[in-house]
Amino acid sequence: MGEKSKVLFSLFGVLDVTGEVVTMWIILALLTVICLIVKCNLKERPGVFQNMIETGVEYLDNFFEGLLGREKSRQYFTFLASLFIFIIIANYSGLVPGVGLTDYVKAPTASLSVTLGLGALTFIFLQVAGLRCGVKHYVKRFFSPIFIMFPLLVLDEFIKPASLALRLFGNVFGEEMVTEELYHLIPIGVPVVMMVLSILFCALQALVFTMLTSIYLDEVTEIEE
Amino acid sequence: MNSAIIAIAAAAAIAISTLGPAIAQGMTAKSAMESIARQPDAAKDIRSTLIISLALMEALTIYGLLIAFMLVAKV
Repeated sequence: MGEKSKVLFSLFGVLDVTGEVVTMWIILALLTVICLIVKCNLKERPGVFQNMIETGVEYLDNFFEGLLGREKSRQYFTFLASLFIFIIIANYSGLVPGVGLTDYVKAPTASLSVTLGLGALTFIFLQVAGLRCGVKHYVKRFFSPIFIMFPLLVLDEFIKPASLALRLFGNVFGEEMVTEELYHLIPIGVPVVMMVLSILFCALQALVFTMLTSIYLDEVTEIEE
Repeated sequence: MNSAIIAIAAAAAIAISTLGPAIAQGMTAKSAMESIARQPDAAKDIRSTLIISLALMEALTIYGLLIAFMLVAKV
């Protein structure tokens, strides 16, 4: 699905590096630098930059607390917030001028491999979080209403991350395609409308991905009395 | 001849898969707005539930869109 990415060069002879991977490296480097700058300059009375970051983190904290409750959101905050920040920046990277024109820099989430990777990560995360609540509880969940449900519930575990991945990929890829088609129709002015819309949609998709992940997490770690 | 059929199939895939979710999303948004108007205090909870349900419906359209893209690639 989608076009096949061009391999730029091979790392250690086995790992194929594509444009998406390069963009992800750039995003990771950017985030690391921002983290280091903020961490080294922590002050009692915050400046403009620190204030901005603090507001963002506080917003995310409140968001996950509303969905998961205080205890669980504190426990899993690092993973969920990192997922959100990575996806939103990866989505927005497609709007930067020049990205997507060459093979060297491409929006990562417009490729199915990347979103399926995120889906696999979510899958592993959900299983581990479920197992941490106790093996008995984890196994019992698959037989929860009646034992006939077992195959469906096992299938459901795989469908959840797959649908997350397909949703993210479809939205971002579809958006890029529509912008490109509009550009071919009328090059000046019209694509801007779609790009303004995609500013909204990119944030919404990142929100939906993390929101659904945390709802699944809430389901998995729920302990009934 | 063959590619013409594929093109029509791609158009039909996205067009038909848009119809159902569009109606469903309209109904969801309508009842969410009604309940916000009735109880403005609960607006925050209603909004997050609304976004989740809209996203789940959106997924159906997206599947149709992906199939349409796959078909278009074969024309």
